[in-house]
Amino acid sequence: MASSKSEEDVDDKGENDEGKHPEGNLLNFEPEVPVESMLVPTDNFDSFEQEAPPDPATLQDDDNLVECQKIARNTSDENTEDPDKNGTSRSMSELSLVSVESSEPQQVDDEVSNNSEWRSQEKHIFILSSAGKPIYSRHGSEDKLVTLFGVMQALVSFIGDDGDTVRSIHAQGTLFVFLIKGPIILACVCKTRESVSQITVQLNYVYSQIVSVLTLEQLTRIYEQRRNYDLRRLLAGAERLVDHLLIALETQPALLLGAVQCLPLASTTRDTITSTIVSCCNKIKNLVFAILVGGNQLVTLIRMKKFFLHPADLHLILNLVNSSESFKAAESWTPICLPKFNSRGFLHAHVSYLAEDCQACLLLLTVDPDLFFPLSEAKQKIVEKLRRASLLQSINAALAHPGTPVSQLGVPEARHFLYKCKATAQFWGPVPAPPYQSSEGAKRLLDQYRVLHHRLHAPSQPLKLLYLQDHAETMLGWITTGFELYVAFEPLVTKANAISAVNKILRWIKKDENGLFITNAPTF
Amino acid sequence: MSGADFKVVLLGSEDVGKTSLMKRYIQDRFQCRPHQNTIGAAFASRTISTRGRQFVMGIWDTAGSERYYAMSQLYYRDAKAAIVCFDLTELVTFDRAKQWITELRNHEEDCKIYLCGTKKDVVDDGIKAPALSHEKALQYAKGIGAVYMETSSKTGLNVGELFQLIADECVLPSIHNRDDSIKLRPSPNKNNACCLAS
Repeated sequence: MASSKSEEDVDDKGENDEGKHPEGNLLNFEPEVPVESMLVPTDNFDSFEQEAPPDPATLQDDDNLVECQKIARNTSDENTEDPDKNGTSRSMSELSLVSVESSEPQQVDDEVSNNSEWRSQEKHIFILSSAGKPIYSRHGSEDKLVTLFGVMQALVSFIGDDGDTVRSIHAQGTLFVFLIKGPIILACVCKTRESVSQITVQLNYVYSQIVSVLTLEQLTRIYEQRRNYDLRRLLAGAERLVDHLLIALETQPALLLGAVQCLPLASTTRDTITSTIVSCCNKIKNLVFAILVGGNQLVTLIRMKKFFLHPADLHLILNLVNSSESFKAAESWTPICLPKFNSRGFLHAHVSYLAEDCQACLLLLTVDPDLFFPLSEAKQKIVEKLRRASLLQSINAALAHPGTPVSQLGVPEARHFLYKCKATAQFWGPVPAPPYQSSEGAKRLLDQYRVLHHRLHAPSQPLKLLYLQDHAETMLGWITTGFELYVAFEPLVTKANAISAVNKILRWIKKDENGLFITNAPTF
Repeated sequence: MSGADFKVVLLGSEDVGKTSLMKRYIQDRFQCRPHQNTIGAAFASRTISTRGRQFVMGIWDTAGSERYYAMSQLYYRDAKAAIVCFDLTELVTFDRAKQWITELRNHEEDCKIYLCGTKKDVVDDGIKAPALSHEKALQYAKGIGAVYMETSSKTGLNVGELFQLIADECVLPSIHNRDDSIKLRPSPNKNNACCLAS
């Protein structure tokens, strides 16, 4: 993968500090860091991974997500070379989706052996209980994959018997990643360019989605009472949340960056919206968060003083809103668990769209189950005030705006970029222009960002600056204390041009910072 | 506090058509495309007149998914009427409706029960055979002192009638209790998905 690319580091893997940058002092470009952020800052993507439970088996390795080398060794020693040697290996080859036909006639899952569409999927996600009961499969029906789930459970428990934990298996261009979360096993089988740590983060997101629907307490209790429970009964209807989340993980950079995008608004407009919401809600006790979102972007977020929202929780909220048409029809009163906030209990969310003619969704989250009507009343007041101040129009205008293309920035060398402000866990990127407008183009770009992101955040050797050149584009990634920047250039750009383009981008961002990001942290 | 003069709750298994019933009544619309299951519960209100006076009926449409059962009491508490829905073509949903009724009897003695067989159009059009006879359902309803109705949210059959019946039967007793303490003000907006009444 890496060898197909000419690749070099501009500054000896970023050993130069920022002050020695050819353009001189770049500290001016650091984002404005608020005293407090409304979102928990995500320093980098490792902070997500550390949610993985510490695992005694990998303690000898200094990072808790290093692949389980021992497993890889064991499997290759024993049988991966000869797929027909014994039963285990046959299962392995089925798992790897490589078309090795079993030499012995044996009943296998129809889906696995006969369904070429299923087999050709680039990425599979499976969820099963530790007893091997199917819970979810991204593609195909779980019922037809029972044998496959059995194999996964066997693998996990076989390795678990020795006190080890299987983390990943690398075979024939296919990557198998496992995440074991109490009574639940999550597995990903993929042929994409994603790294083990990136996939582990994704599996963690999927797990959080399940916790968000059930709470950790309920999940644990169910399996304590009945180890063989079929969790699909409780998750009925929630599959679409997992589906939608996985599509978002495949297509949007937000979850990769652990950051949210804000709806670009003049800072005065945003401040007025915020103060309107605060003025209508500040008498309501036990209101923890008020969140206004539109078009998968954050308009504003107001929190109770002592509480913060983690971006991962906000992503679950956005996922809920984006995947539920029913919120548009009527006011909803919905229990939601935010795992990073408190995985044991539900918050109650009053969810409603502002108006028929303003499709921004307001969520008022409280711990009090009897607060529906006060919140409903507050929402009406908010809408009336916003309407009177013509702020619904401002929101509509911002929602209807097609987005800024990179060409407006006057940086012809750059085709696309992502800028993440670390302290506020927010990011911004221009709308994709050719060659990234097509779905294949967009996918390739995101793949490139993933590679860049992985290399920059590699647990063993994190980098500050990385410059990757291949036939399709030149990628530059740069991490400072305040921001992360990922840029896609045309393939033949020179380093000097790339650097000057980066400076132009940073200057532009700095100029528009107040409109693109929420730089204050409003509270009730 | 309640946001409406009286509270009606929709209960029943998932996919029996509770949301469609509410949507037909509130918005007079029916969406044929696959419906997404309700998350938690949705609230809507509508002014309804009975015996020459107007009242605001607050309707709670609850989620049928099993994971919400534990918190369903939150939604049916203090309801004046419960519409317990089942799918005329699915026997298992009728059995579940019986369970709901038992639960309501145990927790909300004063709540009137309206047993509602949904998707009448599916039966009438011969797309699916009814899972139980009209007589059997009616007999069961009579036995528990409930009203039985068969509705179709697709055609609108009996939907308005059901809610009107609820208003006629439930509003008056509750108003006597409230008349001296609370002044009733009908919402200016008809068919509003949310209204204020203090």
